[in-house]
Amino acid sequence: MEPIAPAVIAPQLEIKRYTGIMDWLTTVDHKKIGLMYFWFVVIMGLVGGAMAGAIRVQLATPGAVWEVVEAAHLNGTDVPFNLFSENRHLYNQMVTMHASIMIFFTIIPGFIAFMNYIVPIMIGARDMAFPKMNAFGFWLLIPAAILMLTSFFVQGGAAASGWTAYPPLSLQGMGTNPGQDMWVFGVHLAGVSSILAAINFIVTVTNLRAPGMTWSRLPLFAWATIFVSIIQLLATPVLAAAVTMVLMDRNFGTTFTIASQGGDPVLYQHIFWTYSHPAVYIMILPGFGAISHVFASFSRKRIFGYISMIYAIGAITLLGFMVWAHHMFSVGMPTILQAYFMYASLLIGVPTGIKVFNWLATMWGGSIRFTTSMKFACGFICLFVIGGFGGLILAMVPTDISLTDSYFVVGHFHMVLVGGSVMLLFSMTYYWWPKMSGHFLSEKAGSWVFWLMFLGVFVAFFAMHISGYAGMPRRVPVYYADFKFSNYLTTVGYFMTFIAALIFFVDLLVSYRRPKITVDDPWAINDIQQSLEWATSCPPPVYNFAVSPPIPVVEQIAHRGNNP
Amino acid sequence: MMLRAGFLTKLTMRTMLVAIALCLATAGTSVAADTAEVDRYVERFNPDIFQLDENGKPVHEMKNAFSSPASDIAQDVATNNWFNLFVFMPFLILPQILLLVVIFKFRDRGDGRKPATFMTNHKLELAWTAIPCLALVIVSVPVWELLYKMELPPTQVDTNNPDQATIVKVTGRQFAWDYEYKHENISIGTDAAGLQEPLVLVLGRTTLLNITSNDVNHAWWVPAYGVKKDAFKGRYTNTWFTPTVAGVFKGNCAELCGPGHGIMFISSVVVTADEFDVYKSLQRHRADTFKIWNQLQRGAGETASDADLKALVTKYFEKDASDGRRFALRYWIAANFASLRRKPQDRALHDDVIRTFQSKRDQLEQLIATVLSSPKPVASAE
Ligand code: HEM
Ligand SMILES: [Cu+2]
Ligand SMILES: [Cu+2]
Repeated sequence: MEPIAPAVIAPQLEIKRYTGIMDWLTTVDHKKIGLMYFWFVVIMGLVGGAMAGAIRVQLATPGAVWEVVEAAHLNGTDVPFNLFSENRHLYNQMVTMHASIMIFFTIIPGFIAFMNYIVPIMIGARDMAFPKMNAFGFWLLIPAAILMLTSFFVQGGAAASGWTAYPPLSLQGMGTNPGQDMWVFGVHLAGVSSILAAINFIVTVTNLRAPGMTWSRLPLFAWATIFVSIIQLLATPVLAAAVTMVLMDRNFGTTFTIASQGGDPVLYQHIFWTYSHPAVYIMILPGFGAISHVFASFSRKRIFGYISMIYAIGAITLLGFMVWAHHMFSVGMPTILQAYFMYASLLIGVPTGIKVFNWLATMWGGSIRFTTSMKFACGFICLFVIGGFGGLILAMVPTDISLTDSYFVVGHFHMVLVGGSVMLLFSMTYYWWPKMSGHFLSEKAGSWVFWLMFLGVFVAFFAMHISGYAGMPRRVPVYYADFKFSNYLTTVGYFMTFIAALIFFVDLLVSYRRPKITVDDPWAINDIQQSLEWATSCPPPVYNFAVSPPIPVVEQIAHRGNNP
Repeated sequence: MMLRAGFLTKLTMRTMLVAIALCLATAGTSVAADTAEVDRYVERFNPDIFQLDENGKPVHEMKNAFSSPASDIAQDVATNNWFNLFVFMPFLILPQILLLVVIFKFRDRGDGRKPATFMTNHKLELAWTAIPCLALVIVSVPVWELLYKMELPPTQVDTNNPDQATIVKVTGRQFAWDYEYKHENISIGTDAAGLQEPLVLVLGRTTLLNITSNDVNHAWWVPAYGVKKDAFKGRYTNTWFTPTVAGVFKGNCAELCGPGHGIMFISSVVVTADEFDVYKSLQRHRADTFKIWNQLQRGAGETASDADLKALVTKYFEKDASDGRRFALRYWIAANFASLRRKPQDRALHDDVIRTFQSKRDQLEQLIATVLSSPKPVASAE
């Protein structure tokens, strides 16, 4: 082996060092920013989850409750407890905000948290390419979240037109009801944050790789980061354009989306989905990358089909831009277009399938340790395959025409987003939390978190598929008595997941009181994985590496001398 | 007289209780069906889709395109869907089985077994790329035909012929649907109590819907028909299907359209061509019954004055005293009461309606009898 390249040591400038809270507020350290993202996401996840609870409590019964409430109003008696007794409008606000918070403030930044913390270390960099921009991107999320959450308290309440904000509904209440405008600004800010992060990741991974970290050695998580960043960079401006049209139509007298004045509400939908279909991959591809490491680590094997994994992510990225109108099969498109979008959507199933089989092959023949992280990873495969199967069913136009805007769609995307993305986030947290915080999460509590989560997700969202098949539309606060049983199940499943989330939250807090991890490689996996993040302390020091670490990593591990 | 008899025969033939029907038909001279008969028609043309039986189960069950298709399109969609499911199923089952195998077979038992070291297997990788592609080719063939079928009704259907095609303009508004039948010249929407009226369609008659909206986007969806189309203000979307099963079908608006989206229910009734003729006749006389209805249900608990009512009823029959017209009056009064009774939010009115319904109805029946039996000559053209 060649001798290690000469050390490049950070210049010792005289700069003011803050401590305590000011340190966090002013930090540009990617690890601290990653942790701030993480905690922001945990909090927003709980808020969004509580909103889901409000929705599920309302839907636990078909809405006989309504009549009781109305009778009480008429007779002047006390109104029994009912979450949305005053108006169904509030229910729609809940649905809209639940989705917006979960998408823009939980799942997307949730992956960014890990990309921020782990990717620079994985590639042997000392920080992101633009540390200040990185901090700026994070801090933009705070006003964005505040705008959205406080909009509940303005006149007319929060946005109530769904996270899709289809006009003309999103134009109603122009001038008198600023909730929708606040939502638009919130999306703008979150979008800028996303774009900045994307630029930063692309530049970082392209330029700051340690010598020897060639593209063909790049960890899959870093590859996924690149692809996701490309999607974010290209797609997010399109979302900004779509919601800006709504903003302009609402406030400045334009008519982009008003058919009677030459605009087109369907055009809005096309533009919106041009972002929002790729966005669903923003919400899962980073996890796809990361989970490969989890499978390999706990199976004590190397990742199977590394090259085909990269091609698969690339193919998903590319195809992801070409299938948006499968969300709009009921708008009355030319049949030939429907056929195109159907075939293209089906095609996405192929690279997705390749990834699933590669993961299974990664585990095949291994010596698998079922840590909580690994349990979540296996649970992810089970649930994600069901969700993806739902996607294939929905891609078939004749079937989709019956199922679009029904609870089947809600079931599908919760199965892939909660059964997929959220399970991935849990798995990644259990896997990397020791590295990020220097403390283990409890495996015992983790077991509870996993089983409650897994079963809860399965029950809640499988039951949603049944409601949808039976004909229940989405975004409704009341429904026919026919859908009673499946909705009841969904509510039960919801509570299981929420308990899991609470246990997890408490365990996160408690973890700081556990003994500090003293080894580099607490999972004892790096003899096979040879990944840089396990070849440095837990948590890694400021600036990560005093010298550019040698690649392949064996040298580094030997050098630090605690190879298990 | 011929017309009268013709109408009566039609009327009776279509009753749901065949026994009563036969009875009336043989009676021949009887000019009026009993009130139960009227109620049956109300239930037929404007069923209560929320009604629960004593076990709390819906009387009119929700039917969907996949397990109980009620149109030719829905039938094809169901067949196609089951076929797709069949082709896709291995890709759902296989990963789960493999996952279970991996979990049980390759767990670390602490026996010092060395993990495998392979990292690629080109044959396998080729297989799990090529086989799914093949599956996609298989599902893509049958769906192609159905896609084009859903676009337009078959050319042999003459859409200008009312016996072959029902053409309805469907207009969504916050939060109800208006229907305009093109050939039949019928406009319906919300009834006397402000509740959504069902779309009445004919068994086996091709139905074309031209859908639009008055305000925000909506979507017209009756699951059993297997169709759903968005409604946009300022443009028309189209869909078609041919009902193949008689019965009551429930649906709902399927595009978020505001606070009332969840209660923007849809119902649709499929009847035979003969029953549809009765329906058309009922609709023709409907507007004329409004004044009488208003007088009759005036004020909570108030009874309508006999004299006022009688004047209105006399006027109603001046134009035409056919059986059809008489039946229409009795039908609409009963239908309007039925709706009022169903309306969930008007508790006070609800109780009142239940309390006074029977007496008001008797009052009217009596009046109709007296007016019609008075010697005054009336024109009997229908
Ligand atoms: C296996 C590949 C997949 C296919 C073929 C697929 C197909 C579809 C189709 C056709 C729809 C539209 C349903 C409708 O509204 O009528 C849909 C909705 C959706 N899918 Fe997928 N999907 C796939 C995977 C995923 C993944 C991996 C995610 C995210 C992690 C995802 C997230 C969503 C979301 C969020 C929606 C609903 C958006 C909304 O209407 O609010 N899908 N999918
Ligand atoms: Cu999509
Ligand atoms: Cu609606």
